[in-house]
Amino acid sequence: MATSTAASPVESGTAPVNVLRLVPGILLLAVVGYAGKFLEKFLNTYAKTHHWTFPNIEYVLWAIVIGLILSNLLTVPKIFQPGIATYEFWLKVGIVLLGSRFVLADMLKLGGISLALVVVEISLSLLLMHALGRAFKLTPKLTSLLAVGSSICGVSAIIAAKGAIDADDEDSTFAIAAILALGALALFTFPLIGHSLHLSDTVFGLWSGLGVDNTAEATATGALYSDAAGKVAVLAKTARNAMIGFVVLAYAIYWAKRGQASTVGNKAAFLWNKFPKFVLGFLIMSLLVSFHTFNKDQVTSLANLSRWAFLLTFAGVGLRTNFRQMSKQGLRPFVVGALGEVLIAALTFGLVVGANRIWGL
Amino acid sequence: MSTESGRKGFKLSLDTWAVILALALALAVRANVFNNVPW
Repeated sequence: MATSTAASPVESGTAPVNVLRLVPGILLLAVVGYAGKFLEKFLNTYAKTHHWTFPNIEYVLWAIVIGLILSNLLTVPKIFQPGIATYEFWLKVGIVLLGSRFVLADMLKLGGISLALVVVEISLSLLLMHALGRAFKLTPKLTSLLAVGSSICGVSAIIAAKGAIDADDEDSTFAIAAILALGALALFTFPLIGHSLHLSDTVFGLWSGLGVDNTAEATATGALYSDAAGKVAVLAKTARNAMIGFVVLAYAIYWAKRGQASTVGNKAAFLWNKFPKFVLGFLIMSLLVSFHTFNKDQVTSLANLSRWAFLLTFAGVGLRTNFRQMSKQGLRPFVVGALGEVLIAALTFGLVVGANRIWGL
Repeated sequence: MSTESGRKGFKLSLDTWAVILALALALAVRANVFNNVPW
């Protein structure tokens, strides 16, 4: 299942040994990702030379599909697992570097709209998930975890909330499995819906960033639609990630008041600890580009470095998704999650279409 | 999560390491250590 639930391989143990343990898995991520990129180019060239009508299937989808085949039809040896778990690290490196593709004016306009939509989305999603949790008689803490996961940012938010509200391991495993399974479904359904409705890159990117839970899946969903949509999806998702500390703090205080979690001492320190630092990195990079720290070629190089980092991430999304293990987690949390996700997808779609009418995105 | 001061000093989170690596790469690009990274 989600390797992201395990302690980070970079954070524990002796450093040189740990780094060596990561090498096989990182190489596998690179091979799978590059195979996806190669397949996209090869099939397009082959179709062109043979005058075939063949849809342009992006490397993103190929990398995910190859990863899914390896992890679901074959067994990936344990030696690769620590390195595969670094896919979230590469995602964050890619997001910070992607900041170079946003000058401050873009960031303020789209980021401001995203932030306004995020506040509405989080409030409505939390209410919705709690109503569904009550209707399906899930335990209150599992409901809290599902609500945090589906309203903010998937796995990271669930892990942050788990510690803050003293939730059971079983509850967090359920919630993570549901969020990941639904993220995998969104990868394939969102682009289909987007294409059938002829959504613009900006509208689709905003919808992916607001509607898909886990950051890796939201980034991949946007990139599957188009490069420009992927860029907007990352911005919207980053705005959503920035809210993690506030929501987790609210839950921590709520459960502490009921005597079912440790009390929060220094709230500012709590917020800083839970705040995703890559959001700051993303802003710093955008500021550097806005003040012309890099020339045009250097900005292109930074954007390409970001694409290479995302390539490893997309391979990791496929490799760590194991449907057999997910199916063992039980049906009820999945049904609640699925219902919630469908409603949140419809809600965020309405929000984005409304914003498009008002601000002309 | 971000930094934990302990006897062995500061322990940085994965998030922070990702930011450090990305900024180091940006610095390398700025210093022309990497020229025209291909895609």
